[in-house]
Amino acid sequence: MEDERSFSDICGGRLALQRRYYSPSCREFCLSCPRLSLRSLTAVTCTVWLAAYGLFTLCENSMILSAAIFITLLGLLGYLHFVKIDQETLLIIDSLGIQMTSSYASGKESTTFIEMGKVKDVVINEAIYMQKVIYYLCILLKDPMEPHGISQVVPVFQSAKPRLDCLIEVYRSCQEILAHQKATSASP
Amino acid sequence: MAYRGAGGHGQPPSAVRSRVSPGSLSTCRTRTHNICMVSDFFYPNMGGVESHIYQLSQCLIERGHKVIIVTHAYGNRKGIRYLTNGLKVYYLPLKVMYNQSTATTLFHSLPLLRCIFVRERVTIIHSHSSFSAMAHDALFHAKTMGLQTVFTDHSLFGFADVSSVLTNKLLTVSLCDTNHIICVSYTSKENTVLRAALNPEIVSVIPNAVDPTDFTPEPFRRHDSIITIVVVSRLVYRKGTDLLSGIIPELCQKYPDLNFIIGGEGPKRIILEEVRERYQLHDRVRLLGALEHKDVRNVLVQGHIFLNTSLTEAFCMAIVEAASCGLQVVSTRVGGIPEVLPENLIILCEPSVKSLCEGLEKAISQLKSGALPAPENIHNVVKTFYTWRNVAERTEKVYDRVAGEAVLPMDKRLDRLISHCGPVTGCIFALLAVFNFLFLLFLRWMTPDSIIDVAIDATGPKGAWTRQYPYSKKGGENNEMSKPR
Repeated sequence: MEDERSFSDICGGRLALQRRYYSPSCREFCLSCPRLSLRSLTAVTCTVWLAAYGLFTLCENSMILSAAIFITLLGLLGYLHFVKIDQETLLIIDSLGIQMTSSYASGKESTTFIEMGKVKDVVINEAIYMQKVIYYLCILLKDPMEPHGISQVVPVFQSAKPRLDCLIEVYRSCQEILAHQKATSASP
Repeated sequence: MAYRGAGGHGQPPSAVRSRVSPGSLSTCRTRTHNICMVSDFFYPNMGGVESHIYQLSQCLIERGHKVIIVTHAYGNRKGIRYLTNGLKVYYLPLKVMYNQSTATTLFHSLPLLRCIFVRERVTIIHSHSSFSAMAHDALFHAKTMGLQTVFTDHSLFGFADVSSVLTNKLLTVSLCDTNHIICVSYTSKENTVLRAALNPEIVSVIPNAVDPTDFTPEPFRRHDSIITIVVVSRLVYRKGTDLLSGIIPELCQKYPDLNFIIGGEGPKRIILEEVRERYQLHDRVRLLGALEHKDVRNVLVQGHIFLNTSLTEAFCMAIVEAASCGLQVVSTRVGGIPEVLPENLIILCEPSVKSLCEGLEKAISQLKSGALPAPENIHNVVKTFYTWRNVAERTEKVYDRVAGEAVLPMDKRLDRLISHCGPVTGCIFALLAVFNFLFLLFLRWMTPDSIIDVAIDATGPKGAWTRQYPYSKKGGENNEMSKPR
């Protein structure tokens, strides 16, 4: 089963949430941001080049122009490869664990996997972020030393930053699976 | 979200029962408010303002209001925390400048405070303490955003020196368009009205309170063969430590069976140590150093007489605490102190060594002749005087009144500032108010209110934490009240 709904992020941008239910014990949530728009790309390039031309008229050194070209190219590559995340995926399988994948605009993917034995809970928390107070979804990890303690908090959907309605959707599904997992592990 | 469903569904807590007294039914349930307490001073910092805010918030939560607290970050304690009964505290990462008070530029805190006010759907901003820059900032922003404002002043000021002239001017600016002001005693009201040139009708007096269960007497903890005088205060000039250093040798010479216990820390401690050294009183004057609030009671119950030597005081909590522990109180007649306790529980003196010694001698002779009432009796009388429930009830009335008033629109506010605060200051702050409004418009354009998520209520009528009425969704508030009865 698969469905797609559209939500918005904390700045008002559009986000698409795809949910894939493979089986009752395995679900995947995929948040995708809109791709890099031609308009913002043009705007940034134009500002850099205008600034470079301004400097060029002041000191009449053509090195500045070539530097501007390099800066825009390298900046674009770096941005696509290290900063811009197009898609974030949360895959939760009740007997195995939780896998978080973020795919960058250049196609690079980075994956983190947390095994179910370490997961204590999935919760929605509040934080002060820049000049805002936002909600975010996070995974609490068990402290191996102390059974009731929390050793680490892993935030999910860090770059997309969806709003609360979207988080609640994902939270409910995760809780269903966690409850299912607890029920099965309690009665083998 | 994780806390949803917690909270007692089974039996309504006793507090709910007590508040359904017939008289208060119509008044206290007519409307609930979303209150935001703002002050630089909050736990883990310790002091009178901090405990005032905490206790008042707890009692307001009990009465069904939604309360949040905004303060600045204390060291590692930043972000959003929940205290008992779902009291939500925002520790904002703002720079602390001096004495736990944040730096103010009047603008930099607007984005965060606006975000909090919008997401919590705050209707009334209640600022505390005139020393807190953040409280004044919040008042300024709240007025720009068109929210109702209440301010509580906890301290007295002078009029003469340069620093008080400046603070008084700022207070005038800050309070001239505030809806309502609360003072802790009539002396403090008089002081505030004069300092800030206010209309006395918008100033209410609501005293502080003590938790009587924290301060219970324990007569067998003290030795009846000797007489012990207890002093608990910060050892600073304002608290009259210099007077204390004059009293100690005089009385110790006169009464061989007299001991002093002094709790508190401060720059004037050195004077007391000198006195102790010079008159060889090491076994009779004990300096305990800084005390935590929970230890104060254990110190108080060891004494027979409590001495307060303050030179200025808006409302002296310490003497109420001491009287609640069953001690005879001897105090200076300054500020709001004469209003605090009835005459038979307190001996008032002029702030001089001679007068205080006479007062103490009177107390000692009463004690020796057995004319003083038993500690248990004093406690039972005092515990009815100042309760937080009563404070909350009276504060609620202020909120009800304020909620019915209109917030000054921008043009009237500018008129008020210019006409009320003098031509120069008035114009400067009117200009700042305009800038603040423009900044707010800019922020509204950047992130419209509709984009800010509404926070899930922890307290209040729809509180996820203290959901006392599982059926509250169906009916109105009257319905909600009648069912548990």
